[in-house]
Amino acid sequence: MYEPKIIGFLCNWCSYRGADTAGMARLKYPPNVKIVRVPCSGRISPELVLRSFREGADGVMVLGCHIGDCHYSTGNHRTAKRMPILKKLLEYTGIEPERLYINWVSAAEGEKFANVIHEFTETIRALPPITEVMK
Amino acid sequence: MTVRLTALHEAIDKVMPEVDGVIGVKSNPNGIVAPHLFLSSHPDDLAALAIWPKEPVPDTLKLIQRAHPEAKLAVVCRGCEERGLVEMAKHSQVDLSKVTLIGLACSQEEAEFCRCAKPYTVHAQMTVGERIEGVPDPLTDAFAAKSREEKLAFWKDQFEHCIKCYGCRSICPQCFCNVCTLEDEKWVETGRLPMPNPPMYHMIRAMHMTAKCVACRECEETCPADIPMAIHFRLIARDVKEMFNYETGAVIDQKPPQLLVLEEGEYERTGLPH
Repeated sequence: MYEPKIIGFLCNWCSYRGADTAGMARLKYPPNVKIVRVPCSGRISPELVLRSFREGADGVMVLGCHIGDCHYSTGNHRTAKRMPILKKLLEYTGIEPERLYINWVSAAEGEKFANVIHEFTETIRALPPITEVMK
Repeated sequence: MTVRLTALHEAIDKVMPEVDGVIGVKSNPNGIVAPHLFLSSHPDDLAALAIWPKEPVPDTLKLIQRAHPEAKLAVVCRGCEERGLVEMAKHSQVDLSKVTLIGLACSQEEAEFCRCAKPYTVHAQMTVGERIEGVPDPLTDAFAAKSREEKLAFWKDQFEHCIKCYGCRSICPQCFCNVCTLEDEKWVETGRLPMPNPPMYHMIRAMHMTAKCVACRECEETCPADIPMAIHFRLIARDVKEMFNYETGAVIDQKPPQLLVLEEGEYERTGLPH
């Protein structure tokens, strides 16, 4: 059994506040996720995700505001247009597309945040470590 | 002289009095075929007019327009080159309002060589040659049918030969940024060969070709290692068609989806959670 390493890119306005809410409610979630706070999920370029994988992350999650709730009006529209393509590209390159996870978590959804982390950690745990896949 | 070349000569002769010059392909005495600006002041040049191999004509137009923004030009373009020009115009790289497009239909052999789905022009003001239908792309279809492990092994084998010459980036009519991500040490390390895994260079390029690649296959043609990288671009182009209903070069005033916000019904097709 290995402990997967996961990088979580969380938007400052919704998902990072959601993680705060989960913490304040004393909700338990796996400690595998290393959280990186970003101004907007639209900031997450494919380069950042790919480099996370290259540096040995077993999974990358991008969490942002719900569509329509973005602090910058349409920042997360970029995420919603870019990330599905990146998932397809991972598939076409021979990397499991499940390693990249996109979801929307608002500041009030502490419970959803904990569930999302649980779910994704289990998905990644079922996959082999990326260092073995990328050998 | 083939029928198509004769017809192309006639089309150029017809358009020449109305424009300052015609961009086409010329075969030089040393056997090298290259893009050329045919001028009415040098009528002898036209004797060496060629049609094959295809050359990066869209980039030639861009360079000439940068130096002479007022010039009225005509361009001999194939289906892929026309798509390239349309996409470049959408990104303000060329100005098509002063350009006459002379469409050159590809022959069956040329289309099969390029595995081209659209070997004909759609926007050109005049066309030369018999229009043929697109041919299937066996290489991409065979790749799409592979399992994940086979895909990984396929690219590992292919990218092992990559010498990172940046030829595919430089020849691409859609790669025009002044500052290139692929030259940034953060994402692509200089001097590291073979390619690290995941192949950052090729994956970043594939991402940047989203809704931009016009399937002209110039990248594969120029590659000294014969890497069939257009497979990536063509598979993504199919997804872009499915998700965002966008085809490169098809409609002149349709903006690329990556520059716009989500539209009604688009989100549902991306497969993201609700």
